Amino acid sequence: MGAFRWWDYGRAVLAVFKKEWLMQLRYPAELVGAVIWPVLFPAVYIFSARALAGPDGEAVAVFASRTGTADYVGYILFGTMLWMILNITLWDLGGHLRREQVRGTLEACWTTPASRVGMLMGASLTQVSTSVAFLLVAALVLRVVYGFELRGSIGPLLLLMVLSILPVIGLGLAFASLVVVLKEINSLVFLVRGIFMVFAGMTYPVEVLPGWMQAVSRFLPLTYSIRAMRAVGLSGAGWAEVRGDALALMAFSVVLLVAGWLAFRGVERMAQQAGTLAHY
Amino acid sequence: MIGAISRSVLRRGWRAALRRERRRATGGMDMDALVTAEDLRKRFPRKRVGQRRWWPWARRENGRGGNGTGASGAAGDEWIVAVDGVSFEVQRGEIFGLLGPNGAGKSTTIRMLSTLLEPSAGTAVICGHDVRWEPMQARARLGVVLAGDRSLYWKLSGRENLEFFATLYHVPAHEVPHRVNWALERMGLADRADELVERYSTGMKQRLSLARALLADPPVLLLDEPTLGLDPQSARNLRELILELKREGRAILLTTHYMEEADFLCDRVAIIDHGTIIAMDSPGALKRRLPHERVYRLELRETNGALRLTDLVPGAAVVEERRDEATGTLHLALTLAEPEQDLAALWTGLAHSGASVVNYSVQEPTLEDVFISLTGRALRD
Repeated sequence: MGAFRWWDYGRAVLAVFKKEWLMQLRYPAELVGAVIWPVLFPAVYIFSARALAGPDGEAVAVFASRTGTADYVGYILFGTMLWMILNITLWDLGGHLRREQVRGTLEACWTTPASRVGMLMGASLTQVSTSVAFLLVAALVLRVVYGFELRGSIGPLLLLMVLSILPVIGLGLAFASLVVVLKEINSLVFLVRGIFMVFAGMTYPVEVLPGWMQAVSRFLPLTYSIRAMRAVGLSGAGWAEVRGDALALMAFSVVLLVAGWLAFRGVERMAQQAGTLAHY
Repeated sequence: MIGAISRSVLRRGWRAALRRERRRATGGMDMDALVTAEDLRKRFPRKRVGQRRWWPWARRENGRGGNGTGASGAAGDEWIVAVDGVSFEVQRGEIFGLLGPNGAGKSTTIRMLSTLLEPSAGTAVICGHDVRWEPMQARARLGVVLAGDRSLYWKLSGRENLEFFATLYHVPAHEVPHRVNWALERMGLADRADELVERYSTGMKQRLSLARALLADPPVLLLDEPTLGLDPQSARNLRELILELKREGRAILLTTHYMEEADFLCDRVAIIDHGTIIAMDSPGALKRRLPHERVYRLELRETNGALRLTDLVPGAAVVEERRDEATGTLHLALTLAEPEQDLAALWTGLAHSGASVVNYSVQEPTLEDVFISLTGRALRD
């Protein structure tokens, strides 16, 4: 008893994962919303694009010349799906500690010998599983509703997906910690997701942005995720063509996961010193 | 000046190191003391509306700063001293109570012992493990019940809650079902185990919290206001359970502001006020310290409104005086230096003064009287 044991760490991660899923299942309306939203959200952009393309799709050629693909539906779907994963992560993982704090259960969990980082990792695992489930459902529904077809191979896409989720989790961990300090999540989520929506090229290539905005977009991991996954999924690009973006995502993963861990440790220590865990 | 501070810091550091070494040498604990608090202190920065900082990490707990309320620290910070040099030990098989009014520092002390708060100074040791340096080891030996019923997941059943926490308490996977059933049976919740906690009464939630605290079979229990908000029957049942746990040899530290509870449950009580322990002994010994054992309570309706009891009975001391505007009566609590003579003088004096006695009772001393005699205030003030 006392020494750090990976087995106990892993069990704490899985316990939180199971608990989070059980609680999600107790709110079935939210699950229904999670299935419907991926269909509704891209529709706004897809139908706007259809209107802008002209009655016979005259503008699609112009679009293809800028993006390398005429499949504007797929183009929009990749952008919106990845943005929605970011959005879910900010709400769910980013609000995890805050929800526990407001609920009154954070202190109860933190009086156990389980690793506090492990518990947050459990919430991250829930987040990953939610994202995967979200993607699977979305892919199925989008195929039926929008006739979306994947052209690239699954292997690189899966790898890119993992590399895309890791920095988002790092961001979520930092966000979770920040929200405990600021005690307010809404405005922060709206701000961050708004920045990603505009700068990361969710429905358009970042090349259409003014120069300073393009410079900002280079500091957002979502920019690289969207670009690489579009290249593989829509144009059938190989690993060599997206290697640069993949490396950038790896770097973002390391930086943001470390930043998230440090932010959590900082907040943990601050809460222990200032006694703010019970304040909400 | 700086040299003196450095020497003080060094001396404290060495003392702490020596204490840790001594505990290691004695197999992790000092005899039967499972909980030790030594000169424990906690202060918080005072927050005022409109003074919120957006860089909270800039304010260091152990940075420059004063020692008392209103003292200035780094960059003009002001501090509230919540716990000021508290020391005590809790032995195996003992219930030790921290008794005091709201805001006295009881919960802050429990939060430091349970590693939720970092002490500003002093040491706290659970079964030989310093809460600051070995927090996980300390937590592994603790069962904690915090005040209020919000520490459970209301959207999970009682069983699901306990299964979750059993894992966090590192109960081996194959033992979890057995341990959860045992805890549920013990707290009388087995027949409601699979219902959502949101359907539980406050008393059931509190019992479930205690069941959670027992999952790891800890040698030490920290109970923060365990009967707060419970109806009398539930509170009585919970007190019986706490006594059972004590008989099993656990060290139990509980906070309460119910003096009857402290009197009934505790082997020893520390009366805490403004963050400082002002008396510590068994309830009986504390009451025996009172200069007068009995308190005489009178409810009087005066005729002339200017009754001076101490003029009537020189040996009387008024410990409480309250006027009830609704009934127009005066409530007095007195102690008498020479009860037999003073009582006779009291009745004669009252008859002559024209005041009529509406109610009269004699009360054996309570811990509340101890608190009043020590602070001049009632616990509820």
